[in-house]
Amino acid sequence: MEKIIDLSPVARPVGRESAPWSRIQLKTRVAVAFASVVPAILGLTVLLLTGIDFMAMLFAVFLPIQVIAAALVGVLVYGRRGVLEGLLVVVTIFCASFIVVLLGSVLWSVIANGSQALSWQFIGQNNYYIKPNTSLEYGGVGHAIIGSLLIVGTSTLVTVPMGLATAVYLTETQGKTKGLIRTLLQAMSGLPSVVSGLFIYAAFIASGITTYAGWTGSLALIPLMLPTVARVSEEALRLVPQELRNGALALGAPAWRAFMLVTLPAARSGMVTAVLLGIARVIGETAPLVLTTFAADRTNLNLFGGAMASLPTYLFGFISMGFDESIQRAWGAALVIMILVAILFTTARLASRTRTTARK
Amino acid sequence: MTLNDSHLRSEDVNVWFGERHVLKNVSLEFPSNQVTALIGPSGCGKSTFIRTLNRMHELIPSAGFGGKVLLDGEDIYGEGVDPVKVRLKVGMVFQKPNPFPTMTIKENVLSGLKLSGRKSENAIELVETSLRRASIWNEVKDRLNDPAISLSGGQQQRLCIARSLAMDPEVLLMDEPCSALDPGSTRRIEETILELAPQMTIVIVTHNMQQAQRVADQTAFFLAEDGNPGYVVEFGRTEQVFEQPIDPRTNDYVNGHFG
Repeated sequence: MEKIIDLSPVARPVGRESAPWSRIQLKTRVAVAFASVVPAILGLTVLLLTGIDFMAMLFAVFLPIQVIAAALVGVLVYGRRGVLEGLLVVVTIFCASFIVVLLGSVLWSVIANGSQALSWQFIGQNNYYIKPNTSLEYGGVGHAIIGSLLIVGTSTLVTVPMGLATAVYLTETQGKTKGLIRTLLQAMSGLPSVVSGLFIYAAFIASGITTYAGWTGSLALIPLMLPTVARVSEEALRLVPQELRNGALALGAPAWRAFMLVTLPAARSGMVTAVLLGIARVIGETAPLVLTTFAADRTNLNLFGGAMASLPTYLFGFISMGFDESIQRAWGAALVIMILVAILFTTARLASRTRTTARK
Repeated sequence: MTLNDSHLRSEDVNVWFGERHVLKNVSLEFPSNQVTALIGPSGCGKSTFIRTLNRMHELIPSAGFGGKVLLDGEDIYGEGVDPVKVRLKVGMVFQKPNPFPTMTIKENVLSGLKLSGRKSENAIELVETSLRRASIWNEVKDRLNDPAISLSGGQQQRLCIARSLAMDPEVLLMDEPCSALDPGSTRRIEETILELAPQMTIVIVTHNMQQAQRVADQTAFFLAEDGNPGYVVEFGRTEQVFEQPIDPRTNDYVNGHFG
């Protein structure tokens, strides 16, 4: 029997018709809509009528009603097992929104307060001749931005090779002291930053070897940054499949070439994350810098000569003065730190996109 | 087959992982320009054995080794022999295709040169010959600068073969090169093996009896019984091992009675 092959294309049904699994009964929709709106309306009504505290309303009125409503909808849609389903949906959404609101409010307060101080002059000028109550039209954080970049940049230049070397030791070699190194790294990540600063202060400044100087600040940041960089890059290298290393070695590559040409490129984005997290760990550090680089009003480009300002110490200095203008400056500095971190992270991410993914 | 024309030979190879003895007194000869298949049930040590032939097994931390592997009469485990040099002469293709994901197809073919720190005067030519020898040239000639991971599994495996061939090895080791591939890709790799056979010594581990019969000149049957170390039960011409095996256990295995 001859079989005729039908070559005409079959049109894809429009919208939900082509995805039968996403069809939702009208009854369910109505129930979900009610359960989403009614508790909120009830809560707001109680809030307006009795005038109780918003948080009290949230936990005492809204949440219980919402939980009951969700459980009812759950039963309506799924039967008995729906009770737990409804409860879990409410708990999950509530906790998630809580975190989002928290994060959002932190961001918002920095942006709202900081943006009043922010201007090109605030970013560009330094703090010379500025008194605590000088109006915001004068002075700025230029010297502190430069200081922060110099201090953190120097720490990064020293720490990244050290952290990478540690990670290589932990993943690529058969060294015998791996356990010890891991323990030390863990201990290091628990080191309070002020202790690190005090140590450098005692070792180099109190002992008279140097006066306050930028390089002592960089030095104090290294032990804070190193564990983060080492642990995250260790994880990144561990994710590279063993087959790739074997492939490279089987081609007659010495171990270090196999690492440089195959393993490291494969772990590239993880390595960038390691560096970024390391920078993020120290860029806001205040205590070690107060003790080592101190504070300065003028721009200082010399890491080896004299006190050097940085954004956290600038912020700390002005917020402790207590004038309206000085607090404004502190908020401004906080916003500048956030913008600086955002710029650093975005550029690093864009620059580190691998060729293969970039082309797609 | 005389001893002298033997290109690669193992003498009483023993392997331990920690205290566990996994391979006992394996003595095999791999004559030049012939294909040898290593067959046997899982866990019998054939993959371990093939790794001893280019010193890849020593990358496992607890590995131990005894015996000799002679390449052109020289013991590759001899004192002062650099394993890196050994692997330049003895290439390897793994079970799972492992092209370097950060490199393009072309760069993958040339990666061996780069990794061993050598320069190639005519890189373009080398890319083409290597890809042709691995019979993948026609499929990739227009996309040499695409990432290697954009290829299908079978193509990736042939790219890995091309990558090994670019180093012009004397011996090519293949550890179950087709076990992750579909029948079509398997056939193409077998054709590649047969085309390469006149030019180099090939050792292939396989779980597929038909494959061993199709590609191999000689076959070694490995077996590890009840926790004892693996050893060679039978070694000979492929037809003989499959059609008139001397040992009853070989007969059982090649006829699918166990394993």
